[in-house]
Amino acid sequence: MPDHSMAAPRRSVRRSLLLTLPVLLWALLVLSRIMTERGNAPKLAGLTTAIFMTALFYGMMRTYETHRWRRRFFVALGFLFPIGFVWDLIALRGSMSIPVERMISGDTPFCFLAIPMMILPAVTTGAVIFPGSILPTASNPHAIGAMVALWLAATLVMGKGWCSYGCFFGGIEEGFAAAPKKARMRKIDPRWRWMPWAVLAAIVLLTAAMLEPAYCIWLCPFKTVTEYPQVRSLETAIQAGIFLTLFLGLVVVVPLLSKKRAQCSFLCPFGAFQSIFNKTGAFEVRIDRAKCQPCVLCEKACPTFSMGPESLASGKTRLSCMKCGACVDACPRHAVVWHIKGTEVGAAPERARLLHLYSAWAFAVMFGGSIIANTLTKLLGFVG
Amino acid sequence: MGVTALAAEALALGLSSGPVCLASCAPVLLPVMAAGRPSPRGAGAVLGQFLAGRLAGYLVFASIVWALGTSLRLDAQSRAWAPGGADLAIAVLLASYGMAMRARPLEKACPAGWARRAAPRYRAFASAFLGFASGLTLCPPFVAAGVRAAEAPGLGRSLFFFFCFFLGTAAWFAPSVSVALLRRFEPVAIVARLVLFVLAGYYGYLGIILLGRTYFHA
Ligand code: SF4
Repeated sequence: MPDHSMAAPRRSVRRSLLLTLPVLLWALLVLSRIMTERGNAPKLAGLTTAIFMTALFYGMMRTYETHRWRRRFFVALGFLFPIGFVWDLIALRGSMSIPVERMISGDTPFCFLAIPMMILPAVTTGAVIFPGSILPTASNPHAIGAMVALWLAATLVMGKGWCSYGCFFGGIEEGFAAAPKKARMRKIDPRWRWMPWAVLAAIVLLTAAMLEPAYCIWLCPFKTVTEYPQVRSLETAIQAGIFLTLFLGLVVVVPLLSKKRAQCSFLCPFGAFQSIFNKTGAFEVRIDRAKCQPCVLCEKACPTFSMGPESLASGKTRLSCMKCGACVDACPRHAVVWHIKGTEVGAAPERARLLHLYSAWAFAVMFGGSIIANTLTKLLGFVG
Repeated sequence: MGVTALAAEALALGLSSGPVCLASCAPVLLPVMAAGRPSPRGAGAVLGQFLAGRLAGYLVFASIVWALGTSLRLDAQSRAWAPGGADLAIAVLLASYGMAMRARPLEKACPAGWARRAAPRYRAFASAFLGFASGLTLCPPFVAAGVRAAEAPGLGRSLFFFFCFFLGTAAWFAPSVSVALLRRFEPVAIVARLVLFVLAGYYGYLGIILLGRTYFHA
């Protein structure tokens, strides 16, 4: 256990290495698929990724801190994912844009953001409203079935932790939010945090009414860095304009000014949907009220407005907490703690953190690590 | 065809296409219902108003078409003006409802006297206006009923057919009163108000595009 009287507690090197060993083995196992591909680039990319992920985990073990190490992985994932994705698109189609007819024929790679929209039409009409293919095909390896299964498995364990360890889009804005030293935009009405729920409700209703993925068609900022409908009419031009404005505003500018994950906090309907699974996940962040002297540093540190005055009063974060660990690391009194549901708050916070991290990092290595290694393979192959 | 057979056919058509009607109207009805955090009775009243407005929309549209001496022209282009206008109206009505709801705690501070007086009245009847506009959006089941009603001999029978069709679809709307169960969650009103604005943007865009297309293709 860390000594709370010390400024920066450190775990011994030996214990930290020992705790990190399972992660190294897991990373080598998972990434061996890439490392055994032909050529030097995959070997180097797989090995680099395995070392990167292991080193970050070691940092978490040694320093007892979570957020800053996780963030390095997450930002790398956020910036490398679009590169690899667009690379594949260019190789397959020669362009980032997709003509509507190819979209309708199911050539669109599936994205987990569409999951909440798919449920109602699937239940009521049996229709899968996303125009992707259920199983992988030669022209579309990112199929619906595999992505939904992966998302479900991760979600049941991590709840909204998906947004801190799995979402390859969140890393982009986390990168921009991390760039400035200080926030220039400090006054944001926290009531805006209800917006993702409103967007979720609106798109679920519209999707059921129109039987088309309303969010993907109208609001997804990440179309800007992945795949967008070919601009052939006023309508598609307006759509492209909306995507670009939302991307620049909520993923780049507001995070740079506020140090908050603005898109996650004020738009993302998937994040709102994912919050519901914080009720089912085993791990959570709690506030030990006996130790808390409301300095609100945790509130300021939280990138998603998941900590508010009522959290400090009740000892619980808001439902939108994505288990990033920023508040835990920021609290000088160690009053914000990791917690396993059903146990006493503050009884064994480091054990709770370790258990959470093993599951979250195992997923991060498998999902994000593979994405990072695949993109590195392409980049290394290109330069070498 | 006898009146009973006509009623039975219209009811059957309404009942079978009710889920589609509900899905089409839910984006307008549910947020309006939720924004006021009503009791089950209040939600029932909102639903009643909405349905009454919707029925009026159906009947008015059918009557206008008959009065013009034509049967319903159902090719996509010629009927786009009605849903285009209706979508635009829905957008304005949703946004003003959102503002009227927001105005409640700010009424004292509102400088425009007429707005202060109008807001509560509008809040009370907004669902009827929205129901009326929804009745004009010509959703697929409505078009199907329109085709059949147009074959009925005389305006009276045609309207009767629409009325029975409406009753069949209305049965599917009853469960929406369960929105009242959400009223114990305080943020529901905030979220519902935001939904009103998001949807106003969507319907506004849809209306402009539909009207634009009709205008440029005319
Ligand atoms: S409450 Fe803490 S763990 Fe949760 S999102 Fe905010 S900073 Fe991260």
